[in-house]
Amino acid sequence: MPEWPTVRKYISGDTRRVDAVPKVTGRARYSSDIQATGWLYGMILRSKWPAAKILSVNLDKALKIPGIKAAVLARDGQFTVRYYGEEIAAVAGTTKQACLDALRAIEVNAEPSPDFVVHEDDAIKDGSPQVWKGVSNASDPHVRKRGDVDSAFSECAAIIEGFYSTPVQLHNPMETHGNTVSWTDEGVTVWASTQGIGSVQDGFAGALGLDASKVRVLTDYMGGGFGSKFGAGVEGVLAARLSKQANAPVRLMLTRFDEALAVGNRPSSFQKIKMGALADGKLHAFQLENYGTPGVGAGGDSGGGGGGANIQAPYLYKVPNIHSSQRSVAVNAGSARAFRAPGNPPASYGMECAMDELAVKLGMDPLEFRLINDPVEIRRNEYNVGAAHIGWKEKYKKPGSSPGVVKTGIGCAGANWPGGRGSPDTSGEAQINPDGSIEIRIGVQDIGTGTKTVIAVVAAEMLGLRPDQITVKVGDTNFPPGTGSGGSNTCPSVAPVVYDVCSNALQQLQSKSGFADARGDNWFPACKKLGVTPLKVTGQWQQSLAGGPAYGVQFAEVEVDTETGLVTVKKIVAVHDCGLIIDHLTLESQINGGCIIGMGYALYEERVMDRVSGVVLNPNFETYKLSGIADVPEIEAVLINMPERGVIGIGEPSTVPTAGAIANAVANAIGVRVPHLPITPAKVLAALGKVPPPVTA
Amino acid sequence: MNPFEYTTARTPDSARQLVGDHGAYIAGGNDLLGLLKDYLATPDILVNIKSLPGLDKIQSGPDKWTLGALVKIAELEDSADIQNAFPGIHDAASEIASPQIRNVATVGGNLAQHSRCWYFRHRDTVCLKKGGDLCYARESDNRYHSLFTGNPCISPVVSSLATTFAALDASAIVLRDGKETSMCMDELYHRAWENPLAHNSLEPGDLIVRVEIPAVRTRSAYMQISDKHSFDWALVSCAAAANVVDGKLDKPRVALGSISPVPHQVEAANEFLDGKTLDDATASRAADMILADAKPLQHNAYKVPMAHALIRRTLLKLKG
Amino acid sequence: MKKAGKDKDVFGAVSRRTFIKGLGATAVSTVAAQTAAVAQELERVNAEKVVGPGAVPVTLTVNGEKLQLQLEPRVTLLDALRNYSSLTGSKEGCDRAACGACTVLFDGAPIYGCQKLAIEAQGHEITTIEGLAKNGSLTKVQQAFIDKDALQCGYCTPGFVMSVTALLNKNPRPTLEEAKHACSGNLCRCGTQPHILKAVLEAAGIGMAEKTGKTEGIKHA
Repeated sequence: MPEWPTVRKYISGDTRRVDAVPKVTGRARYSSDIQATGWLYGMILRSKWPAAKILSVNLDKALKIPGIKAAVLARDGQFTVRYYGEEIAAVAGTTKQACLDALRAIEVNAEPSPDFVVHEDDAIKDGSPQVWKGVSNASDPHVRKRGDVDSAFSECAAIIEGFYSTPVQLHNPMETHGNTVSWTDEGVTVWASTQGIGSVQDGFAGALGLDASKVRVLTDYMGGGFGSKFGAGVEGVLAARLSKQANAPVRLMLTRFDEALAVGNRPSSFQKIKMGALADGKLHAFQLENYGTPGVGAGGDSGGGGGGANIQAPYLYKVPNIHSSQRSVAVNAGSARAFRAPGNPPASYGMECAMDELAVKLGMDPLEFRLINDPVEIRRNEYNVGAAHIGWKEKYKKPGSSPGVVKTGIGCAGANWPGGRGSPDTSGEAQINPDGSIEIRIGVQDIGTGTKTVIAVVAAEMLGLRPDQITVKVGDTNFPPGTGSGGSNTCPSVAPVVYDVCSNALQQLQSKSGFADARGDNWFPACKKLGVTPLKVTGQWQQSLAGGPAYGVQFAEVEVDTETGLVTVKKIVAVHDCGLIIDHLTLESQINGGCIIGMGYALYEERVMDRVSGVVLNPNFETYKLSGIADVPEIEAVLINMPERGVIGIGEPSTVPTAGAIANAVANAIGVRVPHLPITPAKVLAALGKVPPPVTA
Repeated sequence: MNPFEYTTARTPDSARQLVGDHGAYIAGGNDLLGLLKDYLATPDILVNIKSLPGLDKIQSGPDKWTLGALVKIAELEDSADIQNAFPGIHDAASEIASPQIRNVATVGGNLAQHSRCWYFRHRDTVCLKKGGDLCYARESDNRYHSLFTGNPCISPVVSSLATTFAALDASAIVLRDGKETSMCMDELYHRAWENPLAHNSLEPGDLIVRVEIPAVRTRSAYMQISDKHSFDWALVSCAAAANVVDGKLDKPRVALGSISPVPHQVEAANEFLDGKTLDDATASRAADMILADAKPLQHNAYKVPMAHALIRRTLLKLKG
Repeated sequence: MKKAGKDKDVFGAVSRRTFIKGLGATAVSTVAAQTAAVAQELERVNAEKVVGPGAVPVTLTVNGEKLQLQLEPRVTLLDALRNYSSLTGSKEGCDRAACGACTVLFDGAPIYGCQKLAIEAQGHEITTIEGLAKNGSLTKVQQAFIDKDALQCGYCTPGFVMSVTALLNKNPRPTLEEAKHACSGNLCRCGTQPHILKAVLEAAGIGMAEKTGKTEGIKHA
């Protein structure tokens, strides 16, 4: 049974990203950079109404705009739009300017409807406008019971009740969604900004009525996805149809504005939690009523999962008596899609807020309280490690007891990620040349996580070479198929595959060359013995080399200015078990990235819908606020190497507990809970009782 | 953007003629291009005013300092002279937007910039300011909006230089139909106080040519609070200026930004502060007076305590 | 629709703008034949030539080379680079001067390429990410980004590299606060900020105490 080597030169070390040079020199070509011969610029016209019946769309004037080569409708005949931003038509032309003019020349005959609803607490009420006619906005409650909560509460020494909420969060990758598509008689080539070239291939084949063998997808570089970039997308299919009509490649990338409307989001949550513990600190009863919105649908758009707005509850901790009731609520807004650890950040947030409140009520240190109740030993150990790094013992004070106007506080929260175990559907191939050069090909993609580097590191380790001696090629559906990059699945898929490819390569090379061990110094002489014929090998996924799940805990230290409400995160300590760490340098980047998205969730990010007009109010980076470099604190990533557990994907766990840790730190600092994310200065001041009531007229 | 003609003016006179009735001046272009990209403005010609002579200098003087309208925000930030004479201007400038914007944005453009209200800026909400009949913010999400206003529109002035110039009693010199007219900050924004369609008191064709700052107050300070720690519009901003003579305030002025269509000053508060020793109780009393008539709405009431804290801190910063 | 503007110039009731547009190339050659006043006026008028709205010749000096393009006045510098030349290194992240992915150097100063009209970039030295590495050798900033892994998906990377390059050109030994201030106009979604700050200090020759990134073994029962 394959096993990772116990003595490792490159694996678990710090190897520089193998594709760093093209990225820092601007030579890396993303799908938004492709300039295929004769390429055209593509653009989409979107609904400016949150609810409307589209009676007719006239493209005649648009087609007459100089430079326009194609125009298509998003749908045929009359149709209903159910959110601001839903696609109506698309054009392709020789310049961006021609497309802009063409969009404004499209005549849309519509019957806007005043019956729309964009806020969850409106949509859940009886009598609310229905997003889907004849269907209640709120799903039937999904109820889960264990034991008997009512009598259990009466047995509790302490009970807390809280109402916590998390907003709709937008993925907002730096490269927007989109593709360059060329549809000719030979087939379709898609340079896709995607997390799953296979899903794009399937999507185009299905939508265009082609065999998958006629669709080639290429993703050498892509500018982030965070879960939202799977499948062909409406924009992909429109680009293909434009390409066919114009007989030219079409580059159709969404605008930043579009990103807020129609390509996914993390559902919101509104969690009413009642939780009780016994005198010894053991959790005894948990009750949850939760609702949230996945937009118009249940996230069915997303090949990467997503589903509705339900969350795991109680999150992480075992409670013998449970009653949870959850509903997804439709609103007239874009559909949810999987977003880095779907469901976990809101679940963690509500639970960890409740944990701190209950600990305080019991008069217990919140860390102690967690250690009593956390069923996972790895995580309990991580809490102890993290506590030492943040200085918990020295820094933890009773809530609100920090002196002065600017108060300090600390908090913590735990994470769980069941995925990241690798995919048996991933395979790879390699070509070894007589000059000793080796090229490894796997049909996966590097979405910024360092997949190419993982492949180079494992191959270098296995073959006794250096990572820079390995040529890595990914992102082509002509290569052996690989997993989509979601669920933290890529590293535990490719690492075992590369191991197997290299094992097979060595075996064959050794047999052909007569070298008993073709690794290291013997590699080049052994390859020379190949003569004129390169060696081609394949490899399969090996289950014994991957593992899961992953856990993790985070601590946050904050300062809160109690006069202005401003929250400043001073430090985050992120302790994560990582199975066998393949490349420590790029892993640390991943952990940082998860923390920073989690911090944004805690303090800055929310998609704001306007109740009166039904539009998204903040479809830009001005008012949809991403954590900036001045907001990011010192992040101490403590990465626990656990080689015996095999390779585990950990892109997601690091974004799960951050908001809970920060919220708990804020509550610890000021002595009162700010329960609704994002924790803005406005909400801090309100929680401190400093905000006067509104003046009418 | 809609298509437009483009030209570079060599004199203010020709700039005025070239811009005609439907053109727009372009200096740094940051605000203008944003408006154009969302079809909030559709000028048929852009008149580049960056080559107008003599408008790009920072000049000190015994009675007043002059900032040319074409002086870039980055130059204000980098100027040691400005930092010495008017630390409030330096601090305001260094927090405006981002380095990339400061490298092109101008003093005149910062003052003349249009509303940042998200309903005004949204391409598909036709609010009062765009000629519609509804102030969406009043009915809906007004978290970034005014505590004071004289008309149905509640979009506040967001120019941090305006706040600072108000505290320094500076005036904008505006070229209107060939003649220079001087407007203090209150005058420069007064039309926005009265008229929902207005962003300021400038009329079509008006050109801000310089700002004149009386060399009267040797101390100045500026502070703002935003949701984020950088590159984020102020939720509230505050500027204060005064002399400190024998530990007492002389000719003090305090102004608030982002809470009114006009940089907000209360004369009675300035008078109260004059001659007082600067301490927390005095600053607090002044803050009470400045905020006395605030009309907080559903979502912006937090600005009251926030402004109160900012006023106290900005004043105390004058102590040096 | 053009309306005749107020008109006080030498040429009577015809609007200045219409007149200027009608002059075209003949204006230069007839200067010598005119009276001094008219000659002066014509000279000024040529300098105030109205161009557009259709495409006009625009010459950009990018990375030391001349790009001769035909662009409408409404084309931004970023659009010109990415869509009218092969210089796709500068990225479009928002097209609204809010994310910094399009950061280029304009006479050495970082600006947003998306909020500068190409026609206004004429006569200035523009440096893009492609123009940094001379003869294939990376700059100190680029090497530091690689060494400290200050990049992930790489889309924000050109913009950050330009901002950091400009910072160190102006201030070779910045403090951490100055580094943050200089990079405040650049956004990243993947979370490279901590490593970017390390890269800045590395490129500046100032080490940062290695406090982050420990790998620890854990013993389990």
